Amino acid sequence: MNVSQNYVSQLMGRITTWARVNSPWAIHFNSGSCNGCDIEILATLTPRYDIERFGIKLRGSPRHADVLICTGPVTRQARERLLRTYEQMPDPKFVVAVGSCGISGGVFQGCYNIVGHINEVLPVDAFIPGCPPRPEAIIDGIVKLLTHLQNGTRPEPIQFAPQETA
Amino acid sequence: MNTIVSLLSIMFFPVGISLILSGMLYEWADRKLVARFQNRIGPRWFQPLADTIKLLSKEEIKPHSVNNLLFYGLPIVALSGALTAALYTPILGFAPTYSFQGDLIVALYLLSLLTMCTGLAGWNGASRFSLIGATRSLTQLFAYEAPFLLALLGPAMAAGTWTIKDISVYAENHWMFIAQPVGFVVALIGLMGKLELPPFDAPEAETEIVAGALTEYSGRGLALFHIGKSVELVVAISLVTAFYLGGVGNPLIFLLKTLIILLFMAMLQSMLTRLRIDQTVGMWWRFGALLALLQILVIILLKGWLA
Repeated sequence: MNVSQNYVSQLMGRITTWARVNSPWAIHFNSGSCNGCDIEILATLTPRYDIERFGIKLRGSPRHADVLICTGPVTRQARERLLRTYEQMPDPKFVVAVGSCGISGGVFQGCYNIVGHINEVLPVDAFIPGCPPRPEAIIDGIVKLLTHLQNGTRPEPIQFAPQETA
Repeated sequence: MNTIVSLLSIMFFPVGISLILSGMLYEWADRKLVARFQNRIGPRWFQPLADTIKLLSKEEIKPHSVNNLLFYGLPIVALSGALTAALYTPILGFAPTYSFQGDLIVALYLLSLLTMCTGLAGWNGASRFSLIGATRSLTQLFAYEAPFLLALLGPAMAAGTWTIKDISVYAENHWMFIAQPVGFVVALIGLMGKLELPPFDAPEAETEIVAGALTEYSGRGLALFHIGKSVELVVAISLVTAFYLGGVGNPLIFLLKTLIILLFMAMLQSMLTRLRIDQTVGMWWRFGALLALLQILVIILLKGWLA
């Protein structure tokens, strides 16, 4: 009995993982970027790149979305909205930070109105570097997130080289 | 034994799982055709299935101020309405499971149940976007319902019966598409209004009102509404095909005919832009209802003249 229950739950887990990997619905949030990354994200959604091939769809409502695609550093004003959008999404949910500013704060690092990079506010699952990253890079980043989701691993954390002091 | 057979037939063959799966395949065909018209590759064949399983396995968030009974009950009522309508319709070219005198009206109103449930769900959602979406979908219901009903009454009057089964048998020898071209066009466009496809997608316009009436729905509720919509797609297409394109007959040829209707719908979807809600209502009452009424008048006159 126990063994068969275990088998059934494993099968259900595999089916749900398959469904999750094949249908990530995204929502896009700009928490204070210069709009460069947003233009690239919109370019990714055009028929030229056609990410509906992977089942990715942009949804308006956070209640329908699985992947939160954030761009830019988090400003003090956007922090609460970003958190609220994240909390409105149903579990399981994933966060992708697009662009240099999302990774480290970029050129806005240290500004008086900036909280910091996105990982300081939300648990980010995948970073896509670039200023701005090309649509191919964004697709690659999301596909990497999905393959890790399929294998049940988290993406490797990025190791920054320690800054040399002059 | 008999009970088991009828239970199985309700669960699997005419209704239930096979209907839901065929609804998903029709939805995929629609999305793929639209994608090909936009010169892109489009989704893979299992895409609607993956979407549904994912939504069913997701967390369901209940907003704070909604009525519990309505929030959890409406998706179930919507889906069961669409599934019940399938009992009276020749799905995939097979004869309807049940039929009685006047089941055409019952089937049509069961199909409208989904829209009414969407409207109630939006009103119940306690979000401004879902409220606007609900208002729009109910307004649109009042716009397309009468012309669509009149367009399906044309074949019924020509056949002289109100039973879907008898009308489709009559239509096998009388191609209504040729005899009543105006009614066919009204029915085809009414179908698009009923399914809230572009250009009639103002109720769920994602560029204006997030996701319309279903903005606050997540997980299971959203999945049930999606399944209900794809089942409605199959039922409504089967109904129009059986009435206008030569009845039931051979299931394979019937499938081809439904696919041709789907092709036309995908073409119109990718060609036309979204109408404002007042334009939709104006179009339906100024042209749709009048054309359908004209069609019915011609049928009445011809029947009186021939008799």
